[in-house]
Amino acid sequence: MLVQFYNVSKVYKNGVKALNDISLKIDRGEFIFLMGPSGAGKSTLIKMLFREEVPTRGQIFIASRSIVRMKRSEVPQLRRNMGIVFQDFKLLENKTVAENIAFAMKVVGSKTRDIMPRTSEVIQMVGLKGKENSFPGQLSGGEQQRVGIARAIVNRPLLLIADEPSGNLDMNTAREIMELLYDINRKGTTVVMATHARELVKSARKRVITLEAGQILSDQNSLESL
Amino acid sequence: MMNLKNIGYFFREAFISLTRNRLLSIATVSTMVICILLLGTAVLMTINTGSFINRLESDIQIIVFLDNSMTSTQIVDMKRNIEKQEGVKSVVFVSREQALQNLQKKFTDKNYDLSKTIGKNPLPDSYEVKAKDPKNVGALAAQIKQMPGVYKVNYGQGLVERLFQVTKWVRIISIGFIVVLALGAVFLIATTIRLAIFARRKEIYLMKLIGATDWFIRWPFFIEGIMLGSGGALISIVLLGLGYNSLIHNMQTALFFIPLVYNHSLLVNVYLSLLATGALLGALGTYISLNRFLDV
Repeated sequence: MLVQFYNVSKVYKNGVKALNDISLKIDRGEFIFLMGPSGAGKSTLIKMLFREEVPTRGQIFIASRSIVRMKRSEVPQLRRNMGIVFQDFKLLENKTVAENIAFAMKVVGSKTRDIMPRTSEVIQMVGLKGKENSFPGQLSGGEQQRVGIARAIVNRPLLLIADEPSGNLDMNTAREIMELLYDINRKGTTVVMATHARELVKSARKRVITLEAGQILSDQNSLESL
Repeated sequence: MMNLKNIGYFFREAFISLTRNRLLSIATVSTMVICILLLGTAVLMTINTGSFINRLESDIQIIVFLDNSMTSTQIVDMKRNIEKQEGVKSVVFVSREQALQNLQKKFTDKNYDLSKTIGKNPLPDSYEVKAKDPKNVGALAAQIKQMPGVYKVNYGQGLVERLFQVTKWVRIISIGFIVVLALGAVFLIATTIRLAIFARRKEIYLMKLIGATDWFIRWPFFIEGIMLGSGGALISIVLLGLGYNSLIHNMQTALFFIPLVYNHSLLVNVYLSLLATGALLGALGTYISLNRFLDV
């Protein structure tokens, strides 16, 4: 079991109730879609996975470790086992493609001699060979997201978290990005992806957790039965 | 805390950030120059006031007028007795003849002969007594007054006590002034540095989510803050040094009654402390501003 939520509730300081008594389990190697309207609690749930938010009540275990009781100094180690893909890519504009990816390795203290070969490897994997020295501003949206994904997987995470990764992309580009994520999942990485894109989810035949008003509305093996 | 293999990276990042945010760097350095300049001026003023006060205080002495009936042996014995008192620093005998001469010196007009005008010398023999701690002159004077053969003691009664009241408050106020200035400087620097950090908040957030430790993120900012701080301090020290030197050269004659401190090693220490203060303010300002952004 990679992720366990037990009766997790979250009330923000301003009184907003984001999650209400959520329990769920995610196995190693799964691919999970997180669906639901805006304000349903998707973002809060996602942020709890990498401990940007902690629950007001309940327990969360990741790889059998409680992240609620975790010390602040232990959080970086937790996050090094995860990769995060953002809707707005969050690339550093003044760094090239290769530098953006290498940056993630530098940040976690990888050895300099390991950084170059691993960076080339993931650039090849996401199909950006030849664009190593381009800056984000010179790339299309789809290419930028590939850089984002390459950066997320460069440290070989156990868990890949994607928050609306195709939200800013057209349908064809979104499908390409999905293929890339499935590919990563096939190689063993657990993937949790929050999305609005019903079309993408339908064709995927993967587990779908639907949230509404902070609660789990449904947890299905695929969306087609709806 | 600092992984040695990252030092190169930390310095490179600090330099890149310095040149990239040129306008903010200039703003921070300017703020620092003004703060250190004010702080340095306050310190120099405090040092000068302190030395002036010390001089005033060390001038305080007790004049012990002796009975005219005393024999010369009794006078010598008395000196020993005074020296035995606790807290006495020095005892100097002033004979009546010498006292008259001293008085004569105050009438610079040579044509006016005191001894001729008065006829005979009306002044008594006296001892000039200095206390180790000028604050004890009152008590010491009271003790000496009890001794046989003492005609009168004089130490500026009332005036001395008031002087100590004034100097005590001058010291408290100047130290308070420096503390307030330093706090204001920390606040100003922290605000300016916060702007620089705010411009890079997305990068900091990203680093946190990738799994960077707080110190990995802090070091480049720290180095940047320390460089900005000591750079600003350096500029203000040059300005302050030039200003103070010209003050010494030009004002020494015009304002001779205010003796300016010109102790080379003391001034060097002041300037070095200001440099250290600048670096510290830069580091402290960065620390205060940065923590909020690290809380992810």
